[in-house]
Formats: sequence, structure tokens, C-alpha cells
Amino acid sequence: MVAWIGSRTVPLPTAIEQAAKLLAKSRCPVFSLDSDIHGCRSLIALAEQVGATYDHVNGRDLVHQVALHTDIGGFFATATEVQRRADVIVVVGDVPAVHHDLLLSLAATTPDLPRSGKRRWFHIRGKATLALSGKLQRRAKAVDAGSSDLPIDAVLGVLRASLAARKASVVLDNIDAFLGTVANADFPVFVFSHFGDAASLTMLQGMLIDINKKRRATALFLPSDDDAWGMVLTSTWMTGFPPRTGFSTGSPVYDPWLCDVDRMIAGEEADLHLWVSERDEVDPPRRSGLPTIVLTRSDRPVAGAAVTVRIGKAGLDHDGVVYSSRIGTLRSAVAKAPSDLPSVYVIVEQLQHALQGEDVASC
Amino acid sequence: MLIRLAGGEVIDPVNGLAGKRDVWIKGGIIVEKPVSKRADKTYDLSGCFVMAGAIDIHSHIGGGNVNTARLLLPEQHAAHLKRPQHTPLSNAGWSTFRTGCLYAQMGFTTVVEPAMSPSNALHTHMELADIPIIDKATLTILGNDDFLLSMIRDNASSAMIDDYVAWTVSRSRALGVKVINAGASAAFKENIRTFSFDDVVPSYGVSSRRIVEVLQASVGRLGIPHPLHVHANNLGIAGNAATAAETIGASNGRPLHLAHLQFYGYGTEGRRGFSSEAARLAELVNGNPDVTIDVGQVMFGQTVTISADVIRQYSGMRTASPKKSVLFDGDGNGGGIVPYRYRQDYYGSLQWAVGLELFLLIDDPWRVFFTTDHPNGAPFTAYPELFELLMRRDARNAKMAELDQSALELTTLASISREYTLDEVAVMTRGAPAKLLGLDDRGHLGPGAIADIAVYRKGQDIQKMFRDAALVFKNGDLVVRDGVVTHYRWGRALRLNPPSDKGIVKRMQAYHEDRYGLSLDWFTFPDSAISRENPFAEVACRS
Ligand SMILES: [Zn+2]
Repeated sequence: MVAWIGSRTVPLPTAIEQAAKLLAKSRCPVFSLDSDIHGCRSLIALAEQVGATYDHVNGRDLVHQVALHTDIGGFFATATEVQRRADVIVVVGDVPAVHHDLLLSLAATTPDLPRSGKRRWFHIRGKATLALSGKLQRRAKAVDAGSSDLPIDAVLGVLRASLAARKASVVLDNIDAFLGTVANADFPVFVFSHFGDAASLTMLQGMLIDINKKRRATALFLPSDDDAWGMVLTSTWMTGFPPRTGFSTGSPVYDPWLCDVDRMIAGEEADLHLWVSERDEVDPPRRSGLPTIVLTRSDRPVAGAAVTVRIGKAGLDHDGVVYSSRIGTLRSAVAKAPSDLPSVYVIVEQLQHALQGEDVASC
Repeated sequence: MLIRLAGGEVIDPVNGLAGKRDVWIKGGIIVEKPVSKRADKTYDLSGCFVMAGAIDIHSHIGGGNVNTARLLLPEQHAAHLKRPQHTPLSNAGWSTFRTGCLYAQMGFTTVVEPAMSPSNALHTHMELADIPIIDKATLTILGNDDFLLSMIRDNASSAMIDDYVAWTVSRSRALGVKVINAGASAAFKENIRTFSFDDVVPSYGVSSRRIVEVLQASVGRLGIPHPLHVHANNLGIAGNAATAAETIGASNGRPLHLAHLQFYGYGTEGRRGFSSEAARLAELVNGNPDVTIDVGQVMFGQTVTISADVIRQYSGMRTASPKKSVLFDGDGNGGGIVPYRYRQDYYGSLQWAVGLELFLLIDDPWRVFFTTDHPNGAPFTAYPELFELLMRRDARNAKMAELDQSALELTTLASISREYTLDEVAVMTRGAPAKLLGLDDRGHLGPGAIADIAVYRKGQDIQKMFRDAALVFKNGDLVVRDGVVTHYRWGRALRLNPPSDKGIVKRMQAYHEDRYGLSLDWFTFPDSAISRENPFAEVACRS
């Protein structure tokens, strides 16, 4: 059982046909995606075919991460290079739990380039920053630097000023240890993930610009979610743009406000929602009135969905390709428990095929 | 299906064919005129030139650094959608999709991405697989990676070096080997800020010269058809013609390819200490028959520089326009993305002239290759203008009149009357690249070649002729008509597959487990990961 129209079980081709009909009829379809590179590749191609606007399921988390790359740029490194070369690791703010294994592996090793040496850790904290997890802290023995009174961007501002030997009005915890260590480090690396604000990112990269005038330093960017970052990369090569992007005019248009799928749904611009996720734990948002096509791991029809199709997961049910922060690039993910569940890629191919017989409406 | 291209003027210097004659296609291959058989389809090509599909040997069209550039500069692409065509970045070919279409429309059917980091190979090939119509290939980067530098430091045997080079080429599915500012990226991680040919990477005690020599020799021993592709030291720096001269001198009578020589054509004369040494370099190239070069012509306007020469890109960040850039300390080379606008000022004018001097003063069109180092000197969409500059002295003169005269006075450009003939263009963009890359099946129109064919309508307007091909065939499929893509298909990535010694696989396994705590399969991938039918086509090494 892999397909439903409403709550009625149907053969997969019937569900595909129904989904294709809805896509063809829609004047303003929106897609929320969460799949591997192949799944995203096919869904973005489908978006172009039907003039859809697309974003990642967790697009809201991506906005500042994308903006860092589109507006600021900066210094970056791969985790593999960091593992071998960083003599100082500075964790900036909070790093999501999904990356704790990566951080643990950095804490379990010492640099071997350009020669064997020690690795020292700092954790830059603002008033809302959580402590490093117990296990990581036991291994890394990170020295906290920062302030429990200031937001993280202000802490970074003080650190930047202090590194540039400018007088700062506030005193941070352990600032002398931090300044002394970074000033003498050969390859300090600032590890960061998604901040809620652009100011922190600007401040951090500004600090790296300053340090690099005389010495080397770089940053390890750990996206909030590797699959989401893979989708960003795929969108960028396929259309020239990261999400949020849409094909409502035929050509890809990148506009983080205009192409905000949630906004389009709330504003009743969208008339069809294709929601795709390979994760077990997430359910599509329930919205009355908006026809929804759902590709999901669930073995039950999604309540309220016009069409539900059960899919497999890349790297589990079938082979896939995913972004991996561990190596800073794409990685082939072999099926761990091969199954007959169709991949997103296969379903989308069938949808595209079914759409060939339909006249696609446009906005 | 038997296809007849009738009555066009064939330009096929490789086979010594010229003048009006028919070309026949069957099963995607060019065939002899069949005896007593009628064509299923005939195209009347009277009033047209017929050439093999063009081949670009050096154009940054895909991979991590290229994608980072796209990500950094959405406004460049956004701008292009609204602006009229023919302004430089209006047609940058920014997405994979546009890249394939725009190349095909100009009659290009094979393009080489010249800077693939081996660790980024899967990503690069995924992007290339999304470029429609044309065939692609990659050069894999070595020469700043710890494994090779350690081997050179430890005086590893030639056999061990060859095993590693072969394994890298094979696992990354490359068509050749590139070295980018040998040793400099590794040195930059140790805070070295300038790096010349005889400078040494501190912790390895290995010089740039030594790295180039080791790789050049290995490529030769392995029978990799394309000679080592060298991006030399000191790119963009006044006085760097001396570095290029040293590098040419180090070719030692063996094949060596120097990339984007224009960026090394600078002396220190003149009030600004920035002058042209192109004439001297051209003479050196003319006198060293084993050396080939591509130009990396600068054309004016907005572009973005994408390079794995991290030391150079770091110093370029000062002049970024718009003011943002990315500096990436990756495994081995890493990369830097710096947007840049070439202005018709002193520096821009000089760079523009140096490129043209090289094109026009290097005598042998078999050894000078047509590139803008896309997008570093200009987007590849500027090619039609560049063809015109090479083929029409009056077009050069007209452009020179707009430029900074004090810069042009330090060049020989005004005195050069040479105009490229169509025959020479066909050599430079078809026959020679095929030969340089070891692709016997293309670059000419002889029987047995794949039917990659570009048909151009004769006319006074050279730019128009080369921008909008009348017809383009890829493997016998008609893909472009009157400059418009009419049929989409997927090309392949051309690759070598030198056999890997079992010992090296074991060593690489141990190395990756030891240094990264990860098994080797994190860094390798099966062909099926590309998820397209036959994504690769194998090219043979020379025995
Ligand atoms: Zn290049």
C-alpha cells in the first residue's frame, strides 16, 4: 500500500494521475521539499515544468544561512581540513545536535598538519547560548568566553574590537585567554551554525577579515540541516539561485520575500501545495481549503491531503546522494535496508510523464 | 537515418578539406558519401560554413567553487534576466541548464571544466550531468594535497607517484591533471603570502618547481593524453612574465600546457609599473614546440573570478566589486571567489591588449587555445566578440580607440596586422583542442568522427555568425537551429580510466581512515550515483 486519494487506497498510477491533474490545473502551485540531491533535482525540474515556487520544508531556518552566502561571503573551510589543521577551535554560539558527532570527532583528534600538535577549544557564548553537551565538553575542555548579559552579536563585536586592539567597554569572561590563544594560533577555526541574526554573521566574518591581515584563520560553517543545504546547492546550480525561488514567470526568479511559500499559502496566493519529506518524524502542516499532495514515509494517508504517496528514504530504502558536513561536499549514500518503496525521484519522473498529457495552466 | 548536409563550404583543416562539399551522417557518426543511397533527410547548407563542433579546453562551468560563485552573486544572474542580451553578464550561462544551451547555440559541443578538486568530484559530476546537450570533461587538481607533497618530500618512487596520480584521475573521473599555483595553497595555510616557482612549502621542503616537474613526468609516464595543465605562480602580478618564462623553461622539452597566459603577460615598465611582456612570451612559446597555452582573454564588464589559486584570490579580495568574496580553505587547493569588473581604464586596457597580442603573435594555431578562462577574464558568452577581434583588424582598431592610450602604447597591438582565417579558427577551436585532449573522435569532419557539427551562416557580421549557429548537430542529433535550441539531450563526461594498483587503494584506505577517521567510501562514488544513463564515456590513455 503506497498511495491514497483522500483516505482511499488506490494503485500508484491512479494517485499519480490524480496528482498530475491537480498540478496541471493549478495556477500557482507551491512546493515544500525535503529530499536527497536526486529528489531535489527532480522536484526543481518539476517546479519549472508547472511554474511552481519552491522552498525547503525548513526554509525559514535557511534564510540567514543563505543570506550569509549571498550578501556577506567570507572565510570557510571543510571539516576534513579543520580536523587536520586547526590548533584552536572556537565554537561560536549554539551548534545543532546533528553536528555533535562531528564536533566529538574533532575533539577526539589533534592536528597533524603542518605538524603534530595540540588543539585548544573555546566556546563563545552570549546570554542565550547553551552550554556544550556534557560529553563534548568533557573531551574538548572548551574555555567559555563571552558574557551571560550580552547577546551573541554584541559579544562578537567586543571580541572583534579586542582582537584589533581597540578598547572595548565591557569585560568578557576569559577574554585574555581567548585573545592570547588566538593571537598565537597558526590555524584557528571558528565553528558556527545558523544564527538568528545577520549581525552575528557579519561580525564573525569581519573578525576573520581582520585576523587574516596578519595571520591565518577561517571558519567552519555547519548548516542547520545537511539535507536542506544539499537542496540549496542543487537549486543554485540548476537555476542559478538558492531557494526561495520560483518559476511563476517561466524563468527562475529568486526573491526571499516573494517566493516565501508559507507567506504565499497564508496570503492565499497558492492554490496547491506539494509537500515532500523523507523524514519519519515530520508531518505536513494541516491546512483546510488548500489542496495538498503529500509524499511521505508514513504508511497511512495524511488527513486532509488530496493525494498521499508513500516514499522511501535515500540512503535507507534506496541509494542516494546527500550533502555531508563531515566532508563538506556531496556524498554517495548507499541503501542500508533496500526496499521496494519508490524514491522521490521515481515518483516525480512518473508525475512528469503523466503531465505530458495535460495542459499546464500558468499564473 | 542517413543525413546529408548539402552544399556547405566545409572548413576542416585536420583532413585538409575545404570548399563546397557534402557531409554525411549515419548513426551519429560522420560517414563517407554512400554509394547509391539516398539521404533520409537533407539540409541545404548553401551560403553556410560547416565546421566540426567547437571544443573549449578551459572554462569553469561546474563544481563547488563555481556553485559558490553563483550563490554569492544572485544579483548577477538576476540582472541578466531583465537586461537586453549582449551585455557581458546578461548571458553568463549561470545555471547548468543555461550553460549547455548557450554553448550549443554558438556551436560548441565539448567543454572542459579545468579545476575539479578530487574531493569534490561527485558534486562536480552531478553539476556537469545537469548541463544539457554538450559533452563535458574535467581536469583533476593535484599539487597542494598533503598526500602528494608528503610523497615528494619523502622521495617516493616514480611508480608510487604514478599509482597515486592514476588513482586520483580514475576515482575522480577526470580527463587530465591540473596543478594550480603548485604548493601555494598549502603554503598559504601556513601563512605564506607570496609564492614563486622556486619557493618552498615550509613544512614539506618541496618547491613549486619540483611539484610541477613531478606531476609533468607522471602524466607523461601514465600516457595521459593531455599534458600537465599548469596554472603558474604569481598570477596577475606586475613582472610575472618572468615566472611564466621560468615555467616554460622548466618544460624540459616535454609537453606542458600553460593556462590563461594573458594573466602572466605583465612587465614592470611604464609610469604605473604595469606593462605588456606578451611579445616576449609569444616568442618563447614560438620557440618551445612542446608548450601549448590558452589565453584567458579579458573582455570588459562585470564578471566574477573563480579560482583554486587561494593565495591569489586572497590578494584579489581588496579589489572585489561588488564588495564581497569567499575564501575557502579546502582539502588541497580550496578556492576563492572574487567578483570583479574589468574597466576600460589603464589596467583593463593593458590586460585586454596582452591577450590579443598573445593570440596574434603566437604563430601556430595548434598551440594557442581560445579561452577567456570563463568567467575569470570574461564570460564565455563574449566569444563571438573575441572571434571578431581576432579576425578583423578594423574591429580591433575601433575598440582600441575607446581604450586607455597610455596602456596601449606599452603593447605591440597597434602594429599587428594579422587576422585569423576561418581555417585558423577551426584549428584553434576544433582540431587542436581535440588533439591536445586526446579525443580522436572529434574536432574534425572525417569519416568515423562523431557527428558534432556546427554550421554558420556566412555574413559580414562575424559576431552574429558565431553567436547564433545556423545548425548544430550533437552526435548526429539536430540540437540548434538559427541560434535556438530545438532539442535537448544529455551529453557525457569524457574521462580516463587508468587501472588502479591494488596497493594504492589499500594505502588510500589506510590514509583516509587514519587522517580523517572515515572509510574510503566517504570519498568515492559509483557511476550510478550520477543517476543518468551512461554519464561517462571513456577515453584511452596512450600506451
Ligand atoms: Zn581557469
